[in-house]
Amino acid sequence: MAEATTQLKADDHLLLDQPLLRLPLELQRRTFKQSQIKIDHEQKKTTELLRNAAKTANSASPDDTIKSLDAIIQRMENLKRDLETLNEEEQSLHEQSAKRIRHLQELYEIPSLTDVKYENWARTRLDRLIVDYLLRAGYSDTAAALAESKNIQDLIDLDTFKQCHKIADSVRGGSTTEALRWVARNKDSLKKLLEKTASDKNAVVPAVTPKVSQLEFELRFQEYIEILRRHRTQDTARFEAIMHVQKHLAPHAGAFPDQYRVTAGLLAADPSDPSECYREYFSPARWTYLSDLFVDTHHQIFNLPIRPLLHVALSAGLSALKTPACHSSLNPSSAATDGHEHAKPMFAPTSSSNHIGNSLCPICSTELNELAKNVPYAHHTKSSVEEDPLMLPNGRVYGRERLEELERKNMRISGTSRDTDDERGKDDKRGRTIKDPVTGDKYPWERLKKVYIT
Amino acid sequence: MEAVQREHEKVWEGCRKAKTIDATQSIIDQLRKARESIASDPASAQITLVKLQAPVKAAFDDMTASLKTTRGGQNNYQKALDKLFRDKPLPSNEIDALSQQSNLINRAVYLHLLREGLFDVASTMQDEASRRATVQRDLQQSNGLDISIEDPIGMDQGLPDGMLDKFQSMHRILDELRLNHNLQPAMEWAQTNSADLQDRGSNLGFELCRLQYARILFEDSQNGFLSMSSMVKAMEYAQSAFQPFQTNYLHEIQELMGAIAFFSNLNQSPYHARLNTTVAWDEVASSFTREFCALLELSADSPLYITSTAGAIALPPLLKLQAIQKQKNASWTSANELPVETPLPSNYQFHSIFVCPVSKEQSTDQNPPMMMPCGHVICQDSLTRLAKGSKFKCPYCPSESSPTQATRIIL
Repeated sequence: MAEATTQLKADDHLLLDQPLLRLPLELQRRTFKQSQIKIDHEQKKTTELLRNAAKTANSASPDDTIKSLDAIIQRMENLKRDLETLNEEEQSLHEQSAKRIRHLQELYEIPSLTDVKYENWARTRLDRLIVDYLLRAGYSDTAAALAESKNIQDLIDLDTFKQCHKIADSVRGGSTTEALRWVARNKDSLKKLLEKTASDKNAVVPAVTPKVSQLEFELRFQEYIEILRRHRTQDTARFEAIMHVQKHLAPHAGAFPDQYRVTAGLLAADPSDPSECYREYFSPARWTYLSDLFVDTHHQIFNLPIRPLLHVALSAGLSALKTPACHSSLNPSSAATDGHEHAKPMFAPTSSSNHIGNSLCPICSTELNELAKNVPYAHHTKSSVEEDPLMLPNGRVYGRERLEELERKNMRISGTSRDTDDERGKDDKRGRTIKDPVTGDKYPWERLKKVYIT
Repeated sequence: MEAVQREHEKVWEGCRKAKTIDATQSIIDQLRKARESIASDPASAQITLVKLQAPVKAAFDDMTASLKTTRGGQNNYQKALDKLFRDKPLPSNEIDALSQQSNLINRAVYLHLLREGLFDVASTMQDEASRRATVQRDLQQSNGLDISIEDPIGMDQGLPDGMLDKFQSMHRILDELRLNHNLQPAMEWAQTNSADLQDRGSNLGFELCRLQYARILFEDSQNGFLSMSSMVKAMEYAQSAFQPFQTNYLHEIQELMGAIAFFSNLNQSPYHARLNTTVAWDEVASSFTREFCALLELSADSPLYITSTAGAIALPPLLKLQAIQKQKNASWTSANELPVETPLPSNYQFHSIFVCPVSKEQSTDQNPPMMMPCGHVICQDSLTRLAKGSKFKCPYCPSESSPTQATRIIL
C-alpha cells in the first residue's frame, strides 16, 4: 500500500460530480432560450400589429380597432402566462442547483477521509451514483423509490432520464417519429455539438463536415429503409423512396458516404430476403443501434457522461482494492469461484477467512467477486503485512498480535484464566498452542518461525 | 467552489428579479388603458395608438435588457463551473471495464439494497426487472430473434439461498434496537449463535446483557437518583444473566454491580462511563451488524460502498494516467496490474501485500513468496534466477542456502 493518505482534497474529489451542476445549467439555458424566442417573436408581432392598427385606425370602424387591440392584449396575456411558467421552471432549477452546490460545499468542510462526516457524504454519493445508474439502465421506478427513501430527490435527474428513455424506447419499438421530433426541438444544441466535434483536435473528422447530426441522418436513413420494406413492389413507393433520398439523404452524401453509397443498391434489394451485403440494413437490430445512438446523442448535448459514473467509480475502486490474493486459490472466500461459478459457499461453515482485521474484503465478497475478475489489481511498491510476522508449519504467515489475541480468546472459551500466562512471562511458550485463524489447525508455539519481510 | 456559489446566487437573484413578466404586465396595462380611451372616444383612436408605440417598445427593450442580464449571469456561472472543473474531464469510457456485465452490477446493486435494509426498493427493482425482461423478450420474439436473456439482476449468478430472509431478520433486530431500544430480539439471536460468537471471540453477548442491565437500572430514575425498585430488579437480572459471563468478564461485572452503591449520585461516580447508555445503543447496533455479517461470511459494510468510495479516492491518479495513455493509445483496463499507485487510507487494506524486494513484483499464485532458512522472503521467480539451481547467498544477509530449502509461505 502506498502512503496512507487520509487528507481530503475536495477539488480532486469532484471528478464524479460534474454532471450534478452541469445538467441544471444546461436546462436553465434551455428555458432561457425559450423565453428569448417567445419574447422576440411577440415583440415583432405586437409592434407590427400595433403599427397596422394605428395606420388603419382612421379608416376602420372603432369596433375593429378595439377588436385588434383585444387581439394584441390576448397575445400579451398568453406571453405573460408562458413567461411565468418558464420563470417558475427556472426558479425550481435554481433551487435545485443551490441544494447541489451546498451538497458539494459540504465536502470542502471535511478535512479527512477518515472523518465520519466523509463517510456520510460518501454514502449519499453512492446513493446518487446508484440512482443515476438505475435511471440509465431504465429502472426509473426503483430509482425514484431509492431517491425518496434517502431523501435525495434534489440531487438526481429523474425527469431528464425518464424523457430520454421514453424516446429511446419508442425507437427500440420501431418508430422514428418521437426521436425526429426531439431532433427538431434540439436543433440548436445539436448544431453546437457538431461545431464542437469539428473543432476538437482529437476527434476523427470526416472529409466533409456534416451539417446534420449522425442521429438525424441515421433516422432519415431508417425511414428510407422502412419505405422500402413497406411496399417494395409498388412503383409509388419507389417514387416516395427516391423523393425521400433526394430530400433528406442526398444533401448529406458527402458527410456520410458509406450509408449514402448503399441507398441505390437497397432500392433493388428484396427486404424479405436481402443479399448478404444488405442484410444488416434490414435487420431489426438496427432499431437497437438507433436507440443507443439516440441515448448517446442525448447525453452529449446535456453534458452527461455516456456511461454511468457508477461504472467509473466501481472500476477504479475494484482495481484500487484488488490484490492478487482476491482471486487466489488459497483464499477461502473466493476459492470456489475458480471452478464452479454457481456454487459459492455463501454460508459455508469455514469459521474465518484470509483478511486483516475484523472486516471482510469487499472484492472477496459475493457481491463483487465475479465483477472484479477482469479488472487489473492495484500497483504496490512496498510490502505491507501484519506486524511481527510468524510462519506456521503449514506455511501460513500471521502477525504475532493476531495470533496472541486469538490465543487469549480461545483461553477464555476453554476457561483458562489470562492471569496464568502473565505470571509465566510473555516469552515463555512452553505448552502453549496456537490456532491457525484460517484453517483452524493447531500447532505448538515453538514450531513458529519468525519471518523477515523487507 | 466559493466562486461557483457566488455566481450561482447572482443568477438566481437575477431570475427572481427578472423584469420580463412585469414588463409584459405593463404592456398589458397600457393596452387596456388605450382600449378604454378608444372605447370612450373613438376619434382619438389613431393618436392613442401612435402614442402607444413608444412605451410598448420601451417595455420590450426592458425585457431584452433583462434577458441580457440573465444570459450574462449564466455565462459567468458557467465560467465559474469551467474553472472549478478545469483539468477534470468527465471520466470517459476507458475507465469502464464493466459495461459488458450489467447483470452483475444489477445484482450488486440489488444485494446492496437488501443489505441496507431497503427491502421495498429492492422488491421494486425485482418487479421492474422482470417487467423489463418480459418486454425485451416480446420485442425480440416479434423481431424473430431468439437470444437467451440473462436474468437482469443476475440472480442466476447464484443468489445465496435465504439471503433475503437473513437480511430481513437482521434489519428487524436492528430496528428493534435502534428505534424501540428493545434488546430482546438481539439477545435471542446472540443466544442461538452463542457458540459461533464465542469462536470469533465476540463480546456481543455480554454487551447486550450489560446494556439491558443499565436499562433496568435507570428505569424510573430521577436526576441521576436511582429508584429502589429498579435497583432490586437490576440485581435480580444481573444474578441470572451475568452467570455465564463470570469467568471471562469478572472485572466488568464487578464494576457494574459496584455502580449500585452510588445510587444517589451516579453521574459523579467513576462508574458513570460504564453505564452511559446513549452511545451504547449505536455501538451495540454496529457491533451486532458486524457479527451478524461475519457469521454469514459477509463484510460488515456494503462492498459497493467501500468500493465506490475507494474508487473516488483512487480516481485522480487514474485519470492522470488515462490522459497520458491516450496519447499512446493504451488502456489500463487491459493490463493485469495498474501501472500507477493508487494510495488509499489504511482502513481500505484487507489483504497482506508482498512485493518481492528483488524483482519489485507482487507475489501471485504463480509466483509465490518463498522464505529462505534465514527468514528472508523473495518471490519464486527471483529465487530461481538467483540460485540457478545451486547454492546461493541471501540478498539480505550472509547466509547461504539451496533453493530446495526455501519454503512457500502464504501471507
